[in-house]
Amino acid sequence: MNRLGCISINHRSAPVEVREKIVLSPQDFRGLCADGEEVYALTTCNRSEAYWTGLDEQALMQHLASLSGVSGEDIRGYCEIFRGEEAIRHLFMVASGLDSLIIGENQILGQVKDAYRQALAAGTTSTFLNKALHWTFRTAKRVRTETSIGRYPVSVASQAVELACHIFGDISASPVLVIGAGDMAGIAARRLKDRGAGDLCIINRTFSAACDLAEELGGKPRSFSTLREELLRCAIVITSTGSPAPIITRAMMDGVMKQRRNEPMIIIDIAVPRDVEPEAGKCYNCYLYDIDALESIVDKHVSFRQEETDKALAIVSAEVERFARWAGSLDAQATIRDLFSLMDEYIASEMGANSLEPRHAAIVEQKLRSSLKRYLHRVASYLKEHPTLTNIEQTRRIFQLDEDYQDRHKG
Amino acid sequence: MILWIMVLLYVLTGACFITYLFWRRRPVVLIARGLFLASIAIHILLTLSLTGPAYRIPLASPVQAANMMVLLASLVFIFFAFRKQTAVLGAFFLPVAGVVLGMIAPRLQAGEGALPAMFHAWYPLHTVSVVAGEALFAVAFVVSVVYLFHEDIIRKGHLHWSAASLPPLKLLDRILSACLGAGFVAITAGMLFGALWASSLGVDLSQIAMKISAGAAMWLVFAFSLHQRFAIRWSGRRTALITIAGFLLMIILFVGVNLAYPGAHGAGLTR
Repeated sequence: MNRLGCISINHRSAPVEVREKIVLSPQDFRGLCADGEEVYALTTCNRSEAYWTGLDEQALMQHLASLSGVSGEDIRGYCEIFRGEEAIRHLFMVASGLDSLIIGENQILGQVKDAYRQALAAGTTSTFLNKALHWTFRTAKRVRTETSIGRYPVSVASQAVELACHIFGDISASPVLVIGAGDMAGIAARRLKDRGAGDLCIINRTFSAACDLAEELGGKPRSFSTLREELLRCAIVITSTGSPAPIITRAMMDGVMKQRRNEPMIIIDIAVPRDVEPEAGKCYNCYLYDIDALESIVDKHVSFRQEETDKALAIVSAEVERFARWAGSLDAQATIRDLFSLMDEYIASEMGANSLEPRHAAIVEQKLRSSLKRYLHRVASYLKEHPTLTNIEQTRRIFQLDEDYQDRHKG
Repeated sequence: MILWIMVLLYVLTGACFITYLFWRRRPVVLIARGLFLASIAIHILLTLSLTGPAYRIPLASPVQAANMMVLLASLVFIFFAFRKQTAVLGAFFLPVAGVVLGMIAPRLQAGEGALPAMFHAWYPLHTVSVVAGEALFAVAFVVSVVYLFHEDIIRKGHLHWSAASLPPLKLLDRILSACLGAGFVAITAGMLFGALWASSLGVDLSQIAMKISAGAAMWLVFAFSLHQRFAIRWSGRRTALITIAGFLLMIILFVGVNLAYPGAHGAGLTR
């Protein structure tokens, strides 16, 4: 276990100006993995991390410094370094979203998996890190399914999308109207697009800005004068303009809803000051949410996620313990001991199953033991001569030593 | 004995679907579906055993009618149970179905209330249509309750655990609309068949006036709901509220008329 290390440059330890300079790729480490060493590199918008086995920490630090163009002295100040169990705990926490800026966010697991695929393609991981990463995916899945940490949206845009899905189900069939082409409207529209919204229409007072956003999202730009017409057509409305007065009034919505024949409509008003008169939300089948309502819900969700964190950490700790037990078994001597202990168990079980006379039983047992010993001796000698992780891992897998080992300990 | 096994199975199935509402795991829903199939299989066998030696449709008494209504509604819900989006609807129906069956089980027996007039061809047409309509209204009632529950969660915005597994409002509204439409057609046909049956027997309408009045009141509520829906698109919450009111009225009238005027329904027909 002590062979594992991790260098992390993340949102806690380094400012964005440093983080953006350090983009790690497995290709950068191929040269370091010539003799059984392993490296797994992960880069997301909030972190750049390298996990390694069998490498010199100082050499790796220098390598990172040369890759990023930050001096070796400086980069050390921005790094968090984890070793052994702490490194695997950190990896489990990262993949489970427990170390993220927004606790419980679920994009990180996909990024961890993508980085692993790249590492496999580059050939920078082997037995130990492969096992560690598969264990990581399992742990992250346990955290997702056994806790509610990622269940509730914690951004205004995601909350808006969730609400729309609860009303319409499949939003790909629901036309979406985005009023405004600013950052907030863009984020919400992108989120809807990611969730499958197909028919996007963008309205803005400055038509060119609407065209830009529409081009980016594959939507249709419309002039501001078509607002009422689009309200009649669209089921999901996101509005975020800089208008000082409401652009959608109760009177307008009364007429719109009547013409829509009360077809349900959700309006997400994320503008300050508000774009939609609060009274408009009282129209039948019209669901109106303003920024305050959405933020108060999101705050509740954030605090709920924090409450779930303890449960998630307990799962991570249990998995770290199990992983440490497996890693501890990755030793040639321990494996040989487990092999002979398995042999003793087989002999005891065979002898117990046959009711031989004591003197015959002693002879049979002796013969059985000497035959099995001779057979296992070859495996043991080979392991002593070639104690590589791959050989040890394969031996343990062939003889199912870990399952047996765990069962024995449970017993 | 088999009756109580069926009631127990319904309750267990309901418990499984409630568990699935809170804890969305595939094995839970698989177990729930299996139990639901077993419940319905036993229920069908039991209902067939009620036909008696003459193989008459067992709809001769309020108890048998309630039993058939639960069976037909269950057949609709098993269809929902095998669809991912609607599987949790069983959590709202099956516990009630279990309780209703538990209440009628001691009085459920074959050959009950067998009447000579039953041999008439109008009997199956009238009873099956009416009970099928009532069963569809029962489904619409459950869907309406789920709609209002889900809508309340959405209005508040906090999409907590139970909301995650509820069907979207638009889908619930579509199911509600289909059940109301089909139920209304069935019950209207059933009432017409009943009227023709009574007329063919020359029954004095005053003898079944209470039943006619109760049926007409219920019919008017659902007719109003459908009219509003198709004429001015009262979809969603308003339809759900009227459906709940209509179904409760139907239950009150069904129980009330049968308790206050026992035999009033069949008395004229046996004349």
